[in-house]
Amino acid sequence: MSVFVIGYYAALIAASCLAAYFNYRRTFMLLFSLTLVSFVLGIIGGTPALRVVTIFAGALALAVGTSYAFKEFLVQIARPNLAKELRTAPLTASFGMFVIFTYAIAGIFAPVIAPHGEAEVIASAFAPPDANMLLGADQLGRDVFSRIIYGARNTVGLALTATILAFLMGALAGLLAAVKGGWFDQIMGRAADVIMSVPSLIFALLMLSIFGTSLVVIVIVVAVIYSPRVFRLTRAVAGNIVVMDYIEAAKLRGEGDWYLIRREILPNSMSPLIAEFGLEFCFVFLLIAGLSFLGLGIQPPTADWGSMVRENATLISFGDITPLIPAAAIALLTVAVNFVVDWMLFRSSGLKEH
Amino acid sequence: MTKFSDKDILLEIKDLRIQGYSDETWVDIIKGVDLTLHRGEVMGLIGESGAGKSTIGAAAMGYARDGTRICEGSSIEFDGMELTTATESERRALRGSRIAYVAQSAAASFNPAHRIIDQHTEAPVHYRIKKRLEAQEDAMELYERLRLPNPQEIGFRYPHQVSGGQLQRAMTAMAMSCRPDLIIFDEPTTALDVTTQIEVLAAIRDIVDQFNTAAIYITHDLAVVAQMADTIKVLLKGEEVEQASTEEMLDNPQEDYTKSLWAVRSFKRKQKSRPTDGTEPLISVQNVHAAYTGGVKVLDDVSFDIYPGMTVAVVGESGSGKSTTARVITGLLPPMEGQVLFKGEPLPPKYTDRTRDQLRQAQMIYQMADTALNPKVKIHEIIGRPAQFYSGLKGTALKQRVDELLDLIELEPSQYYNRYPPELSGGQKQRIGIARALAAEPEFIICDEVTSALDQLVAEGILRLLDRLQRELGLAYMFITHDLATVRSIADEVVVMQNGKVVEQGPKDEMFRPPHHPYTDLLLSSVPEMDPNWLTELLEERGLDNIGEAATSKGDAAPST
Repeated sequence: MSVFVIGYYAALIAASCLAAYFNYRRTFMLLFSLTLVSFVLGIIGGTPALRVVTIFAGALALAVGTSYAFKEFLVQIARPNLAKELRTAPLTASFGMFVIFTYAIAGIFAPVIAPHGEAEVIASAFAPPDANMLLGADQLGRDVFSRIIYGARNTVGLALTATILAFLMGALAGLLAAVKGGWFDQIMGRAADVIMSVPSLIFALLMLSIFGTSLVVIVIVVAVIYSPRVFRLTRAVAGNIVVMDYIEAAKLRGEGDWYLIRREILPNSMSPLIAEFGLEFCFVFLLIAGLSFLGLGIQPPTADWGSMVRENATLISFGDITPLIPAAAIALLTVAVNFVVDWMLFRSSGLKEH
Repeated sequence: MTKFSDKDILLEIKDLRIQGYSDETWVDIIKGVDLTLHRGEVMGLIGESGAGKSTIGAAAMGYARDGTRICEGSSIEFDGMELTTATESERRALRGSRIAYVAQSAAASFNPAHRIIDQHTEAPVHYRIKKRLEAQEDAMELYERLRLPNPQEIGFRYPHQVSGGQLQRAMTAMAMSCRPDLIIFDEPTTALDVTTQIEVLAAIRDIVDQFNTAAIYITHDLAVVAQMADTIKVLLKGEEVEQASTEEMLDNPQEDYTKSLWAVRSFKRKQKSRPTDGTEPLISVQNVHAAYTGGVKVLDDVSFDIYPGMTVAVVGESGSGKSTTARVITGLLPPMEGQVLFKGEPLPPKYTDRTRDQLRQAQMIYQMADTALNPKVKIHEIIGRPAQFYSGLKGTALKQRVDELLDLIELEPSQYYNRYPPELSGGQKQRIGIARALAAEPEFIICDEVTSALDQLVAEGILRLLDRLQRELGLAYMFITHDLATVRSIADEVVVMQNGKVVEQGPKDEMFRPPHHPYTDLLLSSVPEMDPNWLTELLEERGLDNIGEAATSKGDAAPST
């Protein structure tokens, strides 16, 4: 029995006893069941299995600690109103915000952070990690770590632009349709139906093969594909607002459509729209990554997470996890954005915790 | 008090304290209330909104709403069982079987996807008191006792297929389904018309009598509680003001607050008569017929005049076309036939075709201040926008005008200038709505049920304010209401509407003096009075089968005596 194993069980049992003594029922149940599971795990997997458990627990604790500290940091620097909201945010949300913050830093300062250029060939193909290359080299001998950092800028930047464009188009059309009603509403609604009836990936492939794969085309095509969803949501939200008495009062005052949209409707429909923005961003991001994987997205040698997965896909059969790293980067961002969106949806739905 | 002996205590609440969570701290909502209820006793809880009436009602079931908690040291003893320490499942077993609850809006409380009788039988079947068929038969019997029309069949309809008053009675029947010892009525008639209210009140009173059920009757309408309750408890801001038997409370209230509640309906202003010097009416509605798209006619040949500086009250129950008339005048619903004249000039039928000045002249104040004010816009912009829009005021001139308007509605400008509507109380919101209408400097304001969502004290304040503004600014009001007490206090002329037709109109003093049109008579006699025997006498006079909806439908044919 190594010192590690003895320490491992001693720590677990001591923590369980403390939890039981201070009446934290759920913490106790969690810790003690982990102790029992560890007995079995220790017998089957030996010390390495227990080490994995420890590392997982440590990583989790690190994430929790970071999220907590980050939340406190945000509360400190935010304005009083915002700070009050932030204080009620769950840890998952602040974890999400922390990850998004990290990605934003990586994207903005990519040339400073990345040790090599994104198209720079510095080693032999599939060179293993060393002091110079943190994650090894890809199929052409470029530094995978640098390409991931640059990918944050390219893929996320592109997805963000496309989502913003989709929102501008969809939200504007939806608000106008709700305010004007009548034939304008009908035409916009049917147009949205037509776009939504074509499967998005096929529609994107079709458009990209017709118009080429320049960045502008990708952004516009993706924005057009996703704007009908935004249109429908905005129209539904605004539809509930235009029947309110204050809209009637404004109409009777003789206000124009633009004033109604800007001052009366938009402030009241912001929270569902922001939540939807986060959700749509994930879908757009995944679509762009998927297009790159198929070779129709961002073109080489520009670093992009989707195409990085495809280019290094062969490595997976050799048990190497390199192709999984950009995939994990995509997954982490998606999860992080969803954490934040969940919190916003919770807030805008007006549910209160018991 | 003498009617009930101490042995028969059913519910005893001692030192009840309830806290609510807001702004990250726990705030006291109920500050130590005691309550003793005997078997068969009906207790009326009255007070303005925020007084904690409903919270106490819920606490009587051992229930604290989301975001509230019952504090340590409170005791709620129901028939020898302490509810504050009972487990959730023990408390749940009481609810529905021994304690029942009747909510304010039956329409919102019934599940629209199930038939009424299925919802009725749910509790007795769940508690294994009766088999389903037995429970159904019992339901029909209860429906009959509550004088619902066609009791054998009505339960098999869905909630949206019966009227509001019938649904409220069906809900009372549902509360009786397990023959509970205690029923909590939470404002069961507040949402109903006066004519419908009577049948619900009569039904509730009878059934509570027949089964010797104890009840807590929560309301803010004193006249209603006078009909229903044996004892009355007055609450103010979570504290008890006083408690006494109904007769004693009505004849001899002790506390100043109670006296002020009783005196609320005393406000009366002098009645004005039409100018005789040939002044043209400000607004003249002439032979208006109107319908919503593809629907039946809502307005049928409606005509009346409103003279400058006068208040015309338009009364009638819901669905009589009062608000539709307002929509025709404002131009939201263009009439099929007929026209609206403004100072002798015809107004364009659609509001989009009217000039800014025409729009400015006719302003509206809405019933629900919550939906009438944009919750995300600051007060100064809500009030300032019409001034900016119509008069082109900017910068300091605009700020000065907003301050002036806030002064006019008796709100301190510096305190309210930068706040948002949700931060204000109901009465304050309604005042902001009035200020917005005034900001346009109109000559004519339509008040659509402006006081019906407010407590009586607050409503009286609004009525006084409107009266003062009328005197100072020479405004004309069209006052849409179903509350005849409001009409009595503020109107100069009255227009009575039924089914889209004007059945009677004239100066107020004539309208309140017999002989009446039978429908006017029905409306007038249906307004509850502060006399505890009023309902009994009225029922004797009209006969049990001739109240509420039955009376309304007969109103046209049979002339009343």
